[in-house]
Amino acid sequence: MKQYHLLIVDDEKRFADMLAKRLILRGCHCDVCYNGQQALDLIRQKDFFLILLDLHLPDIYGTEVLKRIKAISAQTPVVILTGHGTAEDRRACMQQGAYAFWHKPLGIEQLMVILAQIGEISP
Amino acid sequence: MIDRIRRVFGPIWPDFNPQDNKHLDPYLTFTDYRTIWVVGISVLVATALMPLLVVTIIHYQLLQKSVDSELILRAERLASNARRAATFFLEERLGALRFTVSEIAYDQLTDPDHLAEILRNLKLGFGGLTDLSVIAHTGTQAAYAGPFNLEGRDYSNQSWFIECQKHYFYVSEIFRGYRDVPHIIIAVKSLRPDGSFFILRATLDTDRLIQTLSSYETGAHAELFLINRSGIVQTPSRHHGEIFEKMSLSVPVYSRRTQVAMAEDEQKQPIIAGYAYISTQIADTPFILMLIKHKAGMMQTWQQLRSNINWFVGFAILIILVVVTLTCSYMVNMLYRADKSKAETMALMEQSNQLATIGQLAAGVAHEINNPLALINETAGYVKDLFVLKEKFHQDDELIGYIDDILDAVERCGTITRQLLGFARKFEVKIQKVNLKDIISDVLVFHNKEAAYRNIQVHVDVPEDMPPVESDRGKLQQILVNLVNNAFQALDNGCILDIKASPAGADKVRICISDNGCGMPEDNLPKIFEPFFTTKEGNKGTGLGLAITYGLVKKLHGDITVISKVDEGTTFTITLPTRVIKEISENEGSTG
Repeated sequence: MKQYHLLIVDDEKRFADMLAKRLILRGCHCDVCYNGQQALDLIRQKDFFLILLDLHLPDIYGTEVLKRIKAISAQTPVVILTGHGTAEDRRACMQQGAYAFWHKPLGIEQLMVILAQIGEISP
Repeated sequence: MIDRIRRVFGPIWPDFNPQDNKHLDPYLTFTDYRTIWVVGISVLVATALMPLLVVTIIHYQLLQKSVDSELILRAERLASNARRAATFFLEERLGALRFTVSEIAYDQLTDPDHLAEILRNLKLGFGGLTDLSVIAHTGTQAAYAGPFNLEGRDYSNQSWFIECQKHYFYVSEIFRGYRDVPHIIIAVKSLRPDGSFFILRATLDTDRLIQTLSSYETGAHAELFLINRSGIVQTPSRHHGEIFEKMSLSVPVYSRRTQVAMAEDEQKQPIIAGYAYISTQIADTPFILMLIKHKAGMMQTWQQLRSNINWFVGFAILIILVVVTLTCSYMVNMLYRADKSKAETMALMEQSNQLATIGQLAAGVAHEINNPLALINETAGYVKDLFVLKEKFHQDDELIGYIDDILDAVERCGTITRQLLGFARKFEVKIQKVNLKDIISDVLVFHNKEAAYRNIQVHVDVPEDMPPVESDRGKLQQILVNLVNNAFQALDNGCILDIKASPAGADKVRICISDNGCGMPEDNLPKIFEPFFTTKEGNKGTGLGLAITYGLVKKLHGDITVISKVDEGTTFTITLPTRVIKEISENEGSTG
């Protein structure tokens, strides 16, 4: 399997860590951030295959983080993964180029399918 | 029938508090419109009628007073004139007798020829005399001139003879006497030179007196007649007693003057009664002149006027009542409608506020649960990963089974929170592909327990090849929930609920929800989609369920119809387009 480099941005520390462990088990390379600013700093340094972004972050709201991510690296697919997003959030995220808008809890197999899809599209 | 009566009398008897509006009571500014209406009408009617009635009453009293005084004045004048005439009639003849006895000596008077001559002359001069006789002091008739041969009769025991001796003059009542013809005797006593006396007596014809009196009678409602002092009628009376019989009215008390007063006759009819005791300057007489006027007759002209005024006032009152009632009803109705519409808006706002609050609560709960759920999911998933990937536990199906149970439970919880969010309608957009079979099953999940408990059979018939519908899942779900709820309320235990879906033409689907429950009367069918229409007793129904359903179906560009028969059941049919072009379909994502 191709080794995907993913970034998980979520203030739920244990969730983010656990998800990272599962993805690592599936052969992915994972970075984890617990707030928006940390994530943006990291994105400036590295290229990611996919970013999983929560909306309710302690410092910057998810939609704003998404906007800045797209400013830094427009090609990187961002999947929004939130406990509860409003219709407004959905509309804003999709407009700003989010790849998908998902609700927790997440089915990891579906994520793997998406990764494979992106993998086929991107070189 | 009652509806028709209500429609006819609606403008004047509006129905302010129909039972189906009871739920609006807390939002109405005024609650007792019936009282406002009644008070309004009463105040306006009182204000409008009071001056009219007061003026009418004052007018009546003035009219009555002036009419009464006018009548009394006229009666007084008439009675006085008649009294004068009667007095003069008697006085003139007494005067003539007095002149005769003073002027002509006894011897000449007792000469029959001379007496006849005198009678003839008196008849010529005054008229009204029948005969003339001279009575000696012994009471024996000394001479007689006239049509009856009464010479030699003895009057010494007769009351008139005795009276005349005492008072010199005498006027008798009217009586029949020996000759059986009503007549009056007048007599004058004269002294002779030898100290004895004689009496000259004349008999008066009553016709002349009656004629004189009747010449004063005016109209059919007034009558003049004489009575004596014991109340015996002396001259003919039409209404108050036969001649020589007791008058039906009581004898008036003595008065020197003419008296007129209001009174009542024996039939309790109002009359104007006038009387005068007739007394000549020469001698007193036994006569009382009576004048009786029947007020009702005299008042006829006034009554006519009064009746005209009554009609006018009555008509005016009727007009005022109708105008005031209509105006007041219209105004209060307008006020009521405005208030009702405000109350409906407030009720709707409160309803939507409640829904919004519930939505916020549901969303909050879903949000709070989703995060721990996600953690459980990932942790259990990680454990499973470890088992699956590590050789050691690879074959341990039991452990894998436990973990799958946890993951299934998480999946189920996830579904519940998503449904909560769906009902909260937070994700409103959502034109998406909806599988009708799935959505119907989702809806029925909520009713499974109740159906089992109440032994209600639910049949779902959706063809396998039914194409998915592009629609709003949440709204469609709500429509179905409302209709299924409705059906469950109408169903008795042990009945059947049928849900059928089928294509309707190329681009539409039809969903029929039928029950064999209590059904609805035909009269209610046109109203069931109106807001606040409910047949549920008390405050059980808001009357919003079907109204919201109707609104949702219309939002989805669909149509909803109903067929129902009492005791047979109800069928709601929803027709929906398979595609809704307006809104853009969105992907709900992995968990959708």
